[in-house]
Amino acid sequence: MATTKTYEEERAGYFKVLIGLLVLTAVTLIQPTMFLENATFGVQMFIGVIKAWMIVMYYMHMKGEKLIGASVIFAMFLVAFFFVIVMIDVNHFQFGDVSHITSEVTSAGGSSASKH
Amino acid sequence: MSDHPYVPEIAVDREGNEYEVQGWQGDFFGGKFGFWLFMLTEIMMFGAMFMVLTYYFTLHHDDFINASASLNRTLGGFNTVVLLISALTMGLGLLKMRHGDVKGSKLMIWATILLALVFLGVKAVEWTAEYNHGIFLGLPALQGGLPESKPFGEIMFFGMYFTMTGLHGVHIIIGIGLMLWLLKRINAEKVTPEHYILHFNLALYWDLVHLIWVFVFPYYYMIGAGLSTGGH
Repeated sequence: MATTKTYEEERAGYFKVLIGLLVLTAVTLIQPTMFLENATFGVQMFIGVIKAWMIVMYYMHMKGEKLIGASVIFAMFLVAFFFVIVMIDVNHFQFGDVSHITSEVTSAGGSSASKH
Repeated sequence: MSDHPYVPEIAVDREGNEYEVQGWQGDFFGGKFGFWLFMLTEIMMFGAMFMVLTYYFTLHHDDFINASASLNRTLGGFNTVVLLISALTMGLGLLKMRHGDVKGSKLMIWATILLALVFLGVKAVEWTAEYNHGIFLGLPALQGGLPESKPFGEIMFFGMYFTMTGLHGVHIIIGIGLMLWLLKRINAEKVTPEHYILHFNLALYWDLVHLIWVFVFPYYYMIGAGLSTGGH
């Protein structure tokens, strides 16, 4: 791996990323009770994406990688594409009254499944 | 034995000169690219699992929030930090190897193995507590149609929780095995500061294991944190 950085510079980079990830982890832990309580899922996933970006770019040395970077983006696109299709599908779920995956035919404990 | 004549592999450099390939050990980019292709299959596998999770989370939103609230965030958060530090030690190990500090590199790999064992130990404690509270695959609470059954959404949540954290744990165990193998290869001088692609790829693998946890942790432990019940 071609690099012009010295050992000390690279090591310092690792620790900077570590501090960033620790700060974001702390935010992850306090967020549900401290701020944006009504948007916990979205905020948590947003923080997760930032952490993932830092790990991929710096710890996994993806910065400056063209072919591998394009492959990763393609794979992520495939996952995201199916994610969107599934979300559209589930948001137009037509068989809530008869399907076993919704509340009516579940268990004695009841359920709070949302209807779509 | 084959009667086929020997056909040499030919590599061409940027100036157009041809060379007969004697071995692929020096093909750093090829080794790295191949391993990334493997990791992309892992991303897509876990991506599909997250997709299933999101599907049921949308259908059974409140059940998922209630189930998540009962998980132990202290242990989950501790494991998140442990894995985060282990990613650092693995990265520093590779850095030391690249700069010729083989002994320091081995020390960092051992530190990573130790942290991985801590992670598994905490996970075992967590799963045991959940089992003692009647929440585990196969127990009545997670089976439908029984008086003690949990709501369907919670059954789905815990089913996915044990499946995904279990599969993640299997990746941790495989990672420990691979790191022990890496140490053996370093001792045999098959991995050196000049030829460290195996070390590089295992560091990538460990980062992937960390990366998956970056999403597993908030998805399972944090979405219900606003309804804290103290955990099992």
